Amino acid sequence: MAQISVCPYCGTGCQIVVPEKNEPFFVSGYNASPVNNGKLCIKGYTGLSYSFSKDRLRYPLLKNNEEFVRISWDDAIEIVADRLLKIREKYGPDAVAFQSSAKCTNEENYLMQKMARVFGTNNIDHCARSCHSPTALGLINTLGTGAATGSIRSLEGTHTFFIIGSNTTEQHPIIGSKIISEVRKGKKLIVADPRKIKLAEMADIHMQFRPGTDVALLNSLMYVIITEKLYDQEFIDNRTEGFEELREEVMKYDPLITSEITGIEPDLVYEAARIYATNRPSAIFYAMGITQHIHGTENVMNVSNLALITGNLGRYGSGIFPLRGQNNVQGSSDMGALSEFYPGYVRWDSDRIQKFSKLWNSSLPTKRGLTLSEMFDKAADGEIKAIYLMGENPLITEANIARVEEGIDNLEFFVVQDIFMTLTAAKADLVLPAASSLEKEGTFTNTERRIQRIFPVYDPPGEAKPDWWILNKVGSKMNLWKEYEGPEEIFNEIREAIYNYSGATYENIYPIGKQWPINKENPEGTEILHTKSFPLGRGKLIPIKFNPPSESVDGEYNLIMTTGRNYFHWHSGTMTRLSQILEREAPEPYVEISNEDARERNIRNGQVVHVVSRHGEIMIKARVTNLVPKGVVFIPFHYKESRVNLLVGENLDPISRIPEFKVVAVKVIP
Amino acid sequence: MIYSLNGHEIAELFERIKKDFETYGTIDVQGDVIFSKIEKYHELKIARSDKPPKEFLIGRNENVLTLPEPSKKAVFGVMSCDLKGFYIMDRQIYGKDPFYTIKRENTIFVNYVCTEPCKTGFCSAFGGPLMDDYQIQVVNYEKDKYVVYVNDKYDSYFKGFKQASNDEISKVENLMKRFNEKQEKHNVEGIENRIKWNSKLWDKYAKICIQCGACNYSCPTCYCFDLNDVGDERIREWDSCILAGFTRTSAGNPRENLSSRLRQRFYHKFVYYKKSRGVYLCTGCNRCTDDCPVDIEIKEVIDHDYDSE
Repeated sequence: MAQISVCPYCGTGCQIVVPEKNEPFFVSGYNASPVNNGKLCIKGYTGLSYSFSKDRLRYPLLKNNEEFVRISWDDAIEIVADRLLKIREKYGPDAVAFQSSAKCTNEENYLMQKMARVFGTNNIDHCARSCHSPTALGLINTLGTGAATGSIRSLEGTHTFFIIGSNTTEQHPIIGSKIISEVRKGKKLIVADPRKIKLAEMADIHMQFRPGTDVALLNSLMYVIITEKLYDQEFIDNRTEGFEELREEVMKYDPLITSEITGIEPDLVYEAARIYATNRPSAIFYAMGITQHIHGTENVMNVSNLALITGNLGRYGSGIFPLRGQNNVQGSSDMGALSEFYPGYVRWDSDRIQKFSKLWNSSLPTKRGLTLSEMFDKAADGEIKAIYLMGENPLITEANIARVEEGIDNLEFFVVQDIFMTLTAAKADLVLPAASSLEKEGTFTNTERRIQRIFPVYDPPGEAKPDWWILNKVGSKMNLWKEYEGPEEIFNEIREAIYNYSGATYENIYPIGKQWPINKENPEGTEILHTKSFPLGRGKLIPIKFNPPSESVDGEYNLIMTTGRNYFHWHSGTMTRLSQILEREAPEPYVEISNEDARERNIRNGQVVHVVSRHGEIMIKARVTNLVPKGVVFIPFHYKESRVNLLVGENLDPISRIPEFKVVAVKVIP
Repeated sequence: MIYSLNGHEIAELFERIKKDFETYGTIDVQGDVIFSKIEKYHELKIARSDKPPKEFLIGRNENVLTLPEPSKKAVFGVMSCDLKGFYIMDRQIYGKDPFYTIKRENTIFVNYVCTEPCKTGFCSAFGGPLMDDYQIQVVNYEKDKYVVYVNDKYDSYFKGFKQASNDEISKVENLMKRFNEKQEKHNVEGIENRIKWNSKLWDKYAKICIQCGACNYSCPTCYCFDLNDVGDERIREWDSCILAGFTRTSAGNPRENLSSRLRQRFYHKFVYYKKSRGVYLCTGCNRCTDDCPVDIEIKEVIDHDYDSE
């Protein structure tokens, strides 16, 4: 029998229909799904073939004299447990770090963080650090919940779409197409993006501002809204606090002044502000363009300020939509696979963690945990001795990968659990073969907080096992817990751990998922957050001062490089690059450079150039295009042939510790 | 021959065919209708499948280094608009593509004729749901009453069933007439002469198209594929002419921009195929529009007043 499942790519979480085992393999969209209404993008249609690749890992592999040799699962689990316990004995629990994955299910992320904490350390983190950790921290600061405030369906009620730092049609195509359909009906669209993205073409206003100047731009929008009294006085009075302080800061950002910083004509800012504030309900969409900065968390809080003063929260069609990159980055963050948060965003240093001590029948670590990039840093310094990594490929995706490599090489023990022998897995001492999302049971939580189920339709290749199975065995081998029977039992423990999940059961979230909070007060889930009040009571308006990005151009490094993804590939490409069609569409790395910049440097389209930053150098083909403005170049990070993250320095947001992937000063030499 | 059957006899027919063929049909999966192996006639859900039955004859991914042993399949519940796709494709690939041909020859499609227009389809523009070409064609014209049109090749499965009366046949014909009158009109005839190379439609679509490929994947007549050597297999995979890589060559791309690729798709459907194969490469199923996330309307391409541009 065919099964309803969830697409493994972006955070939209499109539901798919997967044919049964012996049928021809063709995925289609699930028509009844409120997420995608039967539609899919090219990654959904052609991108799932990786699951059947001959390159899948089949057996546990142990490195012996630089060669991997096949071992049994019993031995593999024994080795992991034994080595980790010995390292704990010798150096203490904080010498071990655990890295979870936004590609894995809620159940698996929950187990991974529980393993770390019961083992005795808060050194648990995952790639949400590099994408939406500023969202979790920023929105929890201002509203109390770090998640999208509305639903995908509610966009039907939106009158103005404001897209800042999200290439929605390429990275969340089904949400992007929803916006296109609404704009065709006459809704307003404002795009703020340094690149001329597809949505910019049909936008009423496109503000092509300089990378890293988001705070100045957002403050100027608020300057206009406040000076022209376009704010929602009632909402500000009844639902927020700190307006006076915000006003004081914002009044310093006359668009006339900030145009020097952002490069945007004041008139455009005025017009955008008026549309956003008056043609309500308005919804803001953002992604990595907002978060991947040293002021990422401040950017998020400033987005929140803008929505709060205009009363664009808590109403159908309004809201803030941080678009999640991975299919389960919302869920993996909810589960507490982040160093500073326990499940349900309980801070590691709060008294409320006692609840977990009881639930897990264990004492809990008292030290702050390391974040993703810190783990590799400390490994290079010799403080971290072992890393247990599940489903990530940091040797392509992390910033400053030369340092990451140094850290990995310095480890005493490195376990990687993956479905492929990635660049990172090849460095491991032990590789554990995992099942793909078509081969296991569990739940994913999408970008609109919808908890959805997946099912094992196919058998994993060889002896590969679902991640939850592996974690379950390793955890029980280390005496951290009594073996779970299966994902549903783990999910039921999650329901105890996270009140916002407590009302969800495997039965009631099938076939159509439900949006958290789902609990006693909201038994059917919650489509729109903050309708009456914020979890914090009042929404906090926090004045944000503009500070320049970590890197700026000078005479030598005279271009700003920004990184990102393209439509056809996914992160480090381990999945999409195995799809023949996707790989054909985008087979090789490239740097987008404007016509003017290319001409000045005598660079032809297709020519191989050197891109050099203060941190490293790569060779890559030039794509001369008008998609980027003069002064800005763009490189996607999918390609192991030219790893752009060799160029990205380790400049971290002091609050969320996300690296600034979006602003790197470079030079391009023919 | 044309037979008259009741519900019980249709189920009996299923059992007879099952003796010689693996039986497939449309089933309900949580509200979606998909093709699956079925063992009993009552498992069948008579409703248009959510994707076309194309993969029965052209695999989504298939190894084309060796011709497989043919397996005999009977597929129940195919709607006429979908079945028509195969008859149209036949003109181009039957007898030439051995993988398609061998499956075509070993598969029976039992098509069901709609008696009420569906929400979006416009099959009347291509003659309506009662097909001239068929293997076994079922019209459920009244409750528990079926008129079944049978290709002589399959007559043996109908031994003992009674032939349809003239009265029954004219009932079906009237029903079809009413169907065609009732369905929204779209005049496709002559579009190959009306359609314009420089129409503003192509740019308009290019501006909103997100290149998902749904129009190709959902089309019962799109047969284009890509070939790749993967390990020891040569994999043929469904392709999409909306993607730039579809026509990229070492010397550049004749259809570099999206607007020219979208135009190509409609020109192939409404101009080239008509001129080279005598029919339009379209059945009026409207699947391409139904599955399009940005609502690009194939009916607009047909109805558009090109002369006024």
